[in-house]
Amino acid sequence: MKELSLYILDITENSVRAGAKNITVSIEEKGSEFRLTVIDDGCGMKQEIVDRLSDPFYTTRTTRKVGLGVPFLTLAAEQTGGGVSITSKHIDEHPDDHGTVLEATFDSSHIDFIPLGDIVSTFVTLIQGSPDIDFLFRHIKDGSAMELDTKQIREVLGEDVPLSNAEVLGWIRGFVNEQYDEWDK
Amino acid sequence: MKVKDIVPRLGLDMLSGDADREISGCYVGDLLSWVMSHAQFDECWITIMSNINVVAVASLTDVACVIIAEGARPEENVIEAAKAKGVCLLLSEETVFSLAAEMAGLLKEKQAE
Repeated sequence: MKELSLYILDITENSVRAGAKNITVSIEEKGSEFRLTVIDDGCGMKQEIVDRLSDPFYTTRTTRKVGLGVPFLTLAAEQTGGGVSITSKHIDEHPDDHGTVLEATFDSSHIDFIPLGDIVSTFVTLIQGSPDIDFLFRHIKDGSAMELDTKQIREVLGEDVPLSNAEVLGWIRGFVNEQYDEWDK
Repeated sequence: MKVKDIVPRLGLDMLSGDADREISGCYVGDLLSWVMSHAQFDECWITIMSNINVVAVASLTDVACVIIAEGARPEENVIEAAKAKGVCLLLSEETVFSLAAEMAGLLKEKQAE
């Protein structure tokens, strides 16, 4: 993966698989400090599982014996001098406030920093793949901000129009692109 | 051509794995996610990466062996994982370029036989 946006897609799909109803993906950039946060209200993980996430031979998949989502993201962060931290509350121990928070920090001025790439496609792909999940995407960079809240879109569209509708997805892409276009001005 | 044939020819230090594994080709790369989708079964993979994820990618792609080049040293836990997963790890002080060139020569020799 040569773009950070693909890592973000990969890591956010873990939240989808955890059965989350709400997922927040937030990117904050201050100077060369690049911070990615993914917060979900999925089933969470017990501490013994969290402790094994950096081990590539740990995976919840049964189809293969290797899981590289977190190890690859960790490698990408660490090779810029940053890192990944994960805290999680498992549904068995926290029935009312379960979920996972992943935070990855990067130094975007480091030569080994992977460029963000096509983040708009990552957002659209996530909504398309899980139209019933509420996503909040937020990107803040030195005073400029982009925000997409599917809850708001859902309120406007009503219950009958799924977010995976091609026209809706096209509109969402345009809405996000418009906000990014403002950044360049 | 087997792993045990290239070890003396390339002056490699063998840390783990099966010396009788057949090598059918060679792949070079350091971006692990890329290698994961491009390296082929039975190839010899040359890289400068030496962390635990190398063992995972080698195991997943089922390459014949991994040459960790340019004097990079894997940590003990990496070698342990390679032994446990049956991944063949080889070390070299040579550059990736010269190892790949030598491998190209050996594979050509073998083809001519």
